[in-house]
Amino acid sequence: MSDILQVRGLTKRFGGLAAVQEVDFTVRTGGITGLIGPNGAGKTTIFNLITGVYKVTSGTVTFEGKDITNTEPYLVADIGITRTFQNIRLFKNLSVFDNVLTACHASAGYNLADSFFRLPRFWREEKKLREKALELLTILGLEDRKDAIANGLPYGLQRRLEITRALALDPRLLLLDEPAAGMNPDETEQLMHLIGEIRDRFKLSVLVIEHHMDLVMRLCEHIVVLNFGQKLADGTPEAIRGDRHVVEAYLGGGDE
Amino acid sequence: MAQFLQQMVNGLSIGSVYALMAVGYSLVYSVMNFSNFAHGGVIMFGAYFGFYAITLLKLPFPAAFVLAFVGTAVLAVLIERIAYKPLRERKAPFLYFIISAMGASIFLENIIIATIGPTFRTYPDVFGRTSIALGPVSIGRLDLIMFAVSAVCLTGLVLFVEKTKMGRAIQASAYNMKAAALMGVNTDRVVMIVFALGGLLAGIAGVFFGMKYTVYPQIGNITTKSFVAAVFGGLGSLPGAVLGSVLLGIIETLVAGYLSSQFRDLIAFVILIGVLVFRPTGIMGKTTEDKA
Amino acid sequence: MLSGINLIAVLGLSLLTGFAGLFSFGHAGFMAIGAYAAAYCTRTLHLPFLVGILAGGAFAAGSSWLIGRATLKLKGDYFCIATLGFGEAIRLILDNFQGLGGARGMPGIPQDTTIWNVLILDVIGVILLANIVRSRHGRNMIAVREEELAAQVAGINTFKYKMIALIISAAYAGVAGGLLAHYMTFINPKMFSMTKSTELTIIVIFGGLGSISGSVLGAFVLTFLPELLRAVDKWRLVVYGLAVIGIMIGRPRGLMGGFELTPSSMRKYIAELKSARSAKAAQKAEDATPGKDGL
Repeated sequence: MSDILQVRGLTKRFGGLAAVQEVDFTVRTGGITGLIGPNGAGKTTIFNLITGVYKVTSGTVTFEGKDITNTEPYLVADIGITRTFQNIRLFKNLSVFDNVLTACHASAGYNLADSFFRLPRFWREEKKLREKALELLTILGLEDRKDAIANGLPYGLQRRLEITRALALDPRLLLLDEPAAGMNPDETEQLMHLIGEIRDRFKLSVLVIEHHMDLVMRLCEHIVVLNFGQKLADGTPEAIRGDRHVVEAYLGGGDE
Repeated sequence: MAQFLQQMVNGLSIGSVYALMAVGYSLVYSVMNFSNFAHGGVIMFGAYFGFYAITLLKLPFPAAFVLAFVGTAVLAVLIERIAYKPLRERKAPFLYFIISAMGASIFLENIIIATIGPTFRTYPDVFGRTSIALGPVSIGRLDLIMFAVSAVCLTGLVLFVEKTKMGRAIQASAYNMKAAALMGVNTDRVVMIVFALGGLLAGIAGVFFGMKYTVYPQIGNITTKSFVAAVFGGLGSLPGAVLGSVLLGIIETLVAGYLSSQFRDLIAFVILIGVLVFRPTGIMGKTTEDKA
Repeated sequence: MLSGINLIAVLGLSLLTGFAGLFSFGHAGFMAIGAYAAAYCTRTLHLPFLVGILAGGAFAAGSSWLIGRATLKLKGDYFCIATLGFGEAIRLILDNFQGLGGARGMPGIPQDTTIWNVLILDVIGVILLANIVRSRHGRNMIAVREEELAAQVAGINTFKYKMIALIISAAYAGVAGGLLAHYMTFINPKMFSMTKSTELTIIVIFGGLGSISGSVLGAFVLTFLPELLRAVDKWRLVVYGLAVIGIMIGRPRGLMGGFELTPSSMRKYIAELKSARSAKAAQKAEDATPGKDGL
């Protein structure tokens, strides 16, 4: 069993504040790993570090054996890692279809001249893009809303759209930042199945930040716990559930 | 050597005018995170307010001065309420603010042209044209007063921002509007005060500019230089704006004196390109990273 | 005629501001470069008109590449100030550079611009622009405008696409400048001042950010308007200024409200009208028939 992602000694300082400090963990290929911890523990910061949105203060990020530390965000997507955002960042004024279509751009083989002069290659490749976008929407159950404006979708579907968009780039590792935020138990259940299905169907690995504990416990095969920017624990759901430090710092008996 | 010093002094005096313009602009930028392109128009109005206060209302200079900067402070707040606040409330994209600012600046410039007319006007001689000799250099009385008033204003501003409760509220909002609001800061009030302060400084700058040169509707265009100065010193940093302006004034005057006056305006842009290419955050600016 | 020339510059600016979301205060600078380059080609080098125009566009595009490299990586504000500086700098340089006529400019340019070549270039310009916008390149630019961060993690090289938008818009402006030069038969730096840049931007805003047909309409309407309103000319800009603020607050999508006047959208609109009409008729019929509780 190999690791698709390795994070070693990852540290990020903002001025005097260390948001993330010497964090090590791995994501196994084909697995679903959860990243949990109280608010402010540094989880989204780690996503930002992995995807190149923030530059690391020190440490490395290795993907499929290659060092990708501090790669530009758009290249990170090319390399095979895509993500969703905690506060949804859809192209709000575009239609559902256009949101996904735009993200499909990477698979298009035509260049500027082809667009300008509408050469045959443009029509061929553009058709392929549209088919791909439609296919993805259908798989994710959004094709009946494809012409709706993204902003007008109900919250749960917006999140699903963001995931669809992330899939459009044919990633091998999908980073989900609190995908179940604001969802009721029913929707959360659906989401859980969806993530599992996506993993199986697209042969991905998934790293998910979440606060919904039952989602995390049931979905993830491996969990990493962060607190105050440092790794607190790392292991299977059972191990984590039983870990005293984790329970004190985070799980505390309350349910989320 | 004497000529060099003289040029330095001249440069400093124009630099202090730029400083007043740049600080007002930088203050608004640091809190609102956008460039108030209407700032130039407000400065221009300041010049006109002062001019008419002296010539039409026959007020003595101190009263006219106060009238001018109070007028511009009010004007600045009005502009904020009409042109920016609705956009803030709608969480409009940043682009819309700039366009609205542009609209305001066009409006200000042209309302003057349409009503009062585009002719240049000169301030009556308030301080006399005599110069005071300080060793090998001479400095006009007007320049000296300008310099002194600017220094007082800027120090006052710094004290206000550092020492008063409202000043700290401004600092907090500059750092993070939402967080400040959560901490109980009345951010709407802060915005209003920031614009009022910016307007106040603009008014002073306008009056001085009008007195040193002439009064005309396109004064707003000179503020391009103050933008450059603010960027040079570091957008969002008040000491930076002052530093950048003074340096710009000095460099400009030296270039005009030793090379050619044709290059005087151009040098500002050369500096701009240089800053943007080599050190976009300016001399004293801070780098910020986008939070995802 | 003038509106046709303006249109080309406006189309370019529309791509930059309306679609890519970059506000440029100095677009007249690109027009100036195009104008002077084209004029130099025809007047001094005695090259044919078309070559001059193309040269104008090419020079403008080239200089935009230089500007872009320096400024596009910066935050939005800095870019605006930089374009402002650029526009003014070009004007100042031209004002002082006696080799190209200095403040008095360049007279004696052959009047090669005709209504026909303007129209043809207009049509070509619109078609090419539409082609770009409706391709992945255009979509990527729009994505950068909408949510830059999301666009980046979606694999879009934001710098590259901003640069593409800038270069194309500069090329358009350069061509427009060349056409202008050969229409007026003389050029001077004053023609390309900040006023011109502002004028172009206002047209784009009025027509609607992100709408090509809006820019077309805007260009024609707003170039004719000053002629009609000659009497109250000095108030024109006052009104424009207020109108711009009003548009941003009330209807940022401008005249066209984000729609495009294309054959398919018109068909859709007509179809919607028809179905609305028949729905209303059906409703009326239903209301007219006596219901269970009707009397």
